[in-house]
Amino acid sequence: MDGTLRVVEKEPDNDELLSRIREDAPGAFDEFVTRFGGRIYAFGMKFCGEREDAKDVLQDTLLQAYRSLRELEHPEAMTSWLYRVAANACLMKRRKGKFEPEREISLEELLPGAGQDARIQIPDPTALPHDDAVRAETKARVQKAIGDLPPAYRIVLVMRDMEQLSTQEVADALGLEISAVKMRLHRARLMVRKVLEESYA
Amino acid sequence: MSSRHVHGGPECVALFAKLSEYLDGELDPTACAGVLGHMEDCERCREFLESLRRAVAHVASMESPELPENLKNDILAAYARTKESS
Repeated sequence: MDGTLRVVEKEPDNDELLSRIREDAPGAFDEFVTRFGGRIYAFGMKFCGEREDAKDVLQDTLLQAYRSLRELEHPEAMTSWLYRVAANACLMKRRKGKFEPEREISLEELLPGAGQDARIQIPDPTALPHDDAVRAETKARVQKAIGDLPPAYRIVLVMRDMEQLSTQEVADALGLEISAVKMRLHRARLMVRKVLEESYA
Repeated sequence: MSSRHVHGGPECVALFAKLSEYLDGELDPTACAGVLGHMEDCERCREFLESLRRAVAHVASMESPELPENLKNDILAAYARTKESS
């Protein structure tokens, strides 16, 4: 404590923002974009990997969501609901307008082979050298491993491991059972692990 | 499990399905103790878990791109246009 009195202005909660959106109060859309724009843009970038696609996802999501938010009954569901609109925009962007994979990937396909080298190839992220080139290269490998995932798995990985949504929030956003979210997250992680292991081998 | 445990049997396959829940702290205490016990005896599963943990940590540590200010302005302008035309 430095003894300085700090006045912290409390940010209005979703409840208050939703009321202002319903009234179409002046500045409500601006406030909506300020509060959620960064998060939705980052989500679009992580899923699509392209700036132009992320821009379209952001614009489509915010404009569509703002119009429909007036009918949202539960303000506490606002975040999951926004991710649902954004996820649909992402999947449409990739011309994969569905959350269902063509087939579920079996665990057996992701089990390491008996004769495979058991040594860990993936570098420990907490022990990476402070070298910009090494870090950029690591980032590119991880980005590619995420980008190579089938969309139905990638969307769950992005929401859970990158956006830090809870399993329940992901289930609500994607209209999936909790068990399906867990199953797809596990397979997505196993696929990323496999690609990274192979890229470092 | 004996010290002669050979990796790749049904125990390893059953464990393989639970690794994400284990990493996320979502297993009940009995299942969690089962994973820990297995890891003590099975080096391959231990190494596999560590490689999975690293992969998840790499994904989680990816930076979040910032929203470019001009993009925010574009969206506000697009919204203003839709209001004018409605």
